[in-house]
Amino acid sequence: MGLLAQYVINGAMLGMMYALVAVGFSLFFGVLDVIQFAHGDVLMVGAFAGLAAHALLAHLGVTSPALLLLGVLAAAALSMAILGALIARAVVLPLKSVPPINVLLMTLMLGTALREAIRLFYPGGSQPQRFPSLLPGTATAVGALTLRLDNAILFATGALLIVGTHLFITGTRLGLAIRAVAQDEETARCMGIDFTKVVLATFALGSALAAVAGVMNGLYYNEVGFGMGLLLGVIGFSAAVVGGLGNLYGAILGGFLFAALQTIGAAALPFASAYKDVFAFGVVIVLMAFRPTGLIGEKASERV
Amino acid sequence: MSGFSRIAAALVASVLLSAYLLLFLRAESTYTVALLLACGVAVALALRAKPLAPLARAAGSSRALPPFGLLGVVALALLLRDDAFSLFLVARVLVIALACLGLHLQFGSAGVVNFAGAAFFGIGGYTAAVLGRGGAIPGALVLLAGGVAAAVIGSVLILPVLRTRGHYAALVTVAFGILFRTFLEVNDTLGGPQGLKLAGLEIFGLRLGDDLALGPLEGSFLVKYVLAAVVLLALGFALVLRIERSFVGLALDAVRLDETAAAAFGLDVARWKILAFTVGNFLTGLAGALSAYLVGFIAPNNFTFSESLIFVSIILLGGIGNAAGVPLAAAIVLLLPEKLQLLQEYRYLLYALLVMAVLLFRPGGLLPRRLRRWEAGGAA
Amino acid sequence: MHRRCSAAAASAAAATAAVLAFVSPAAVAKDTVKIAFVGPLTGGNSAIGLGGRNSADLAVRLRNADPKSKYQFELVALDDECKPDAGVQVATKAAADKSIVAGVTHYCSVVAMATVDTYHRFGLPTVVWGAVLPDITYAHDYREIHRVNGTMINQNETAAKFMAAQGYKTWSIIHDTTDYGKGHDKYFTQSITPLGGKIAGDFGVTADQQDFNAELTQIKGQHPQVIYFGGLTPLAVRIRAQMEKLGINAQLQGTSGMLSEDFIKGAGPELAEGVLAFREGAPVEKLPGGKFFMEKYAAQNYPNPPEAYGPFAFVAATLLMDTIEKVGPDRRKIIGELAKVKDRDSITGPITFDSHGQNTVAAITKYVVQDGKWVVWEDSEYASGKRKLKGK
Repeated sequence: MGLLAQYVINGAMLGMMYALVAVGFSLFFGVLDVIQFAHGDVLMVGAFAGLAAHALLAHLGVTSPALLLLGVLAAAALSMAILGALIARAVVLPLKSVPPINVLLMTLMLGTALREAIRLFYPGGSQPQRFPSLLPGTATAVGALTLRLDNAILFATGALLIVGTHLFITGTRLGLAIRAVAQDEETARCMGIDFTKVVLATFALGSALAAVAGVMNGLYYNEVGFGMGLLLGVIGFSAAVVGGLGNLYGAILGGFLFAALQTIGAAALPFASAYKDVFAFGVVIVLMAFRPTGLIGEKASERV
Repeated sequence: MSGFSRIAAALVASVLLSAYLLLFLRAESTYTVALLLACGVAVALALRAKPLAPLARAAGSSRALPPFGLLGVVALALLLRDDAFSLFLVARVLVIALACLGLHLQFGSAGVVNFAGAAFFGIGGYTAAVLGRGGAIPGALVLLAGGVAAAVIGSVLILPVLRTRGHYAALVTVAFGILFRTFLEVNDTLGGPQGLKLAGLEIFGLRLGDDLALGPLEGSFLVKYVLAAVVLLALGFALVLRIERSFVGLALDAVRLDETAAAAFGLDVARWKILAFTVGNFLTGLAGALSAYLVGFIAPNNFTFSESLIFVSIILLGGIGNAAGVPLAAAIVLLLPEKLQLLQEYRYLLYALLVMAVLLFRPGGLLPRRLRRWEAGGAA
Repeated sequence: MHRRCSAAAASAAAATAAVLAFVSPAAVAKDTVKIAFVGPLTGGNSAIGLGGRNSADLAVRLRNADPKSKYQFELVALDDECKPDAGVQVATKAAADKSIVAGVTHYCSVVAMATVDTYHRFGLPTVVWGAVLPDITYAHDYREIHRVNGTMINQNETAAKFMAAQGYKTWSIIHDTTDYGKGHDKYFTQSITPLGGKIAGDFGVTADQQDFNAELTQIKGQHPQVIYFGGLTPLAVRIRAQMEKLGINAQLQGTSGMLSEDFIKGAGPELAEGVLAFREGAPVEKLPGGKFFMEKYAAQNYPNPPEAYGPFAFVAATLLMDTIEKVGPDRRKIIGELAKVKDRDSITGPITFDSHGQNTVAAITKYVVQDGKWVVWEDSEYASGKRKLKGK
């Protein structure tokens, strides 16, 4: 019983990580119809930015974990917001009128460029880097189950972020503008909404979200590496697609579903837990064959 | 431009390109390589200028360019018959060009994006490894079987790919690529992570593993591999160009440009997509089989997502829609880091930046496609 | 007229001869001899590859600085990316280049297997410095291939005997799905089972896996005394950290793949404390040659540490250079001479090549982490009983 609960907790934490990435994908797709394949790598760069900030703060003599955590989060989120806006301005907006596949390829290459840049130019970048543990590590054992305070904090933070994003999108003026542009760009422009500003804001928001997810990832595994974004990006993308692109709830559903598939795969095939990725991706392919627009699919109609 | 002068232009272009390739392969010092590159870029820019541009366009679009180009490579191989390493590089470029030709058919013609190119390449290789054991099955059949296996396994993906559009289809191929590699590594039946060794290749009685002894010409066994690759690439080109110039190609173009309109005109979109996807996978699998024999060994970590991305980069650089651009792009992507050793460590970064630059400033690629033209009695 | 001309000519000749006689000894330069180094310089194994390259480079530098050496050696470093096609490509490059007379080759077993034929075809003598799959030397009869490091069979036999002697009875095995991890899994299981060890669970994980919670949760339910890990440092760090988070109190036992500074740095000294690992070769730190190697390596200020197999690369390069000095830069003669290597002294202990070119390494060294450092078992406080291992 305790073991089952442990599995559920593991799966939930994993699902939260994936959901955060998937939400970003859905956000970008919803607004601009673009797949930002560099999203996972932006997450990675954000984590490294946080790491660098931590090194700097520690060097300056800051010791309080709360302050360090705050500094790390702020540095990561801000720097990635700027990077996201830059990406939007330099790479995505100019390619607005070309077939969307070009943008997908462009962001894919951008992701590779980011990954290689960190591997080559960050000191020691080719090896995984230790991420400092800034969260309280108290754990209580309840039977065979180990409940940890830091996991609980991470989970709660993830949930808060998702709820916060939802409230932002539905409650604020900028959120309203984003939704308007997502629905119909031309009309939104006619209504006086500054399209460029909305796009930049969306990218900044999404990238900041990715940065926080990256820091959370670093705190959870106590490690960041230049390759962490690639698989996370692919999984996040799969999760978003399976759940239904453009739909926030779909992204969350997809994220937890993928984590569940991986956990079940690892648990149910005891001597072959390495097959869990095969299992999870296989199920994704099958799902795509039967529900091509995702589980909570978008009802899309095209004007011909 | 009359047909004859187009052929002449293509001949001149092939000779020049072959000579350039020869010099490039033989260049030892970084200085020589940099000099050659500078010359190459200068010539490329000069060709865009007024007096030479029509000539360049004629050569680039002539039907005679692929056969002349391949003949040039054969001459090159015979000239370099003692230089094992250069031959190996040339053989690799040709094989990868064939694999990317398959991807080009899928993407450039039918608009079906395939991010699992390396997986199909690997399927061809593993088929060759398994069937080639014991030498019971003739080499030519083994190579073809590699292509067929890739096409057949690829058909598993057809249903999800057909039912989805654009990015969704991309996801399916990405998932498949990851799945393929993980499956092979974890599973021991096909050698697991240790991979498989390949027996020697023998085509129509000619053993490719033995050194070349063709009358007065003696050389490395790799000359035979280059010739085999040239033959396969020639067949591949013939197939792809034939398809592109036929009504099939017209249908594929229509499907790529606007699926809804094509469907409204009565084209069976699914059928053409399936055709392009399957034939494309066949070519990639065929290339994979020959490549496995060339290297002599095959292992799962050769077929990762990064390799698939390199294939995609090659077709993007080469010009989506111009088959002749594929070998050129393959040569650049594979030979440049080899010769400019400084670049070795940075090569993935450079490829990514280069493709991004191409996508931003020259989305047609290095040798962009020309719009289909219909003239009486004429070349398209 | 003739006399003046001939006098002038004679004096010119004499002067020239004098000048030449004065200049020539110093102007005679040593011939340059090239040896290749092949290893994974990029990709996931780059740390070990770079450590090997730096070690081989150190050997070459030390030799070139020695005024008694007959040749000027040059190391040509090539990257095999740990992939067979890249490996065969660089192997062809090295082997087809007549100016390269020998090679220090390969860490990745897959690549070493793939390139054996290439080296044989072109007749390039090679000494493997890091690949551990037995087949690399035993699956064929090629005289070109030799190896200075042991195969994973020896390592796991010794590990099994040691752990059984310590009183451990139950294991759960995690191994990566590369040939390295799978090989270790196979040979350890083979060695420990006849000694009474029970394997409660066997888990294969991909070489870049992040999250081990699923596997470790199952392992928690199996209650093993030891978790055996066959794989490299990055995964070892993650497994150790996640073991702690799940509250698993088993002893962690590893292979040479995690015997690196980065493991202690990554997991942190408290978590790394008490972890066991094994490696072929005599303890480098304790032999006089080993200390010399560590000092000289540090003096060169390489950006990467030598890692577990650096000393073997150093040994391989030194062996080749010694052989070249003895018989000259001729590939065939080098192959002939390498076949005669017996009880040759080196920083990792004596080297003897058997009929397959494999170094029959007698010593396997056991290490344990103590106070943030890898310490040879016999020297540690665990051996003397002052500290206790976990899981018993």
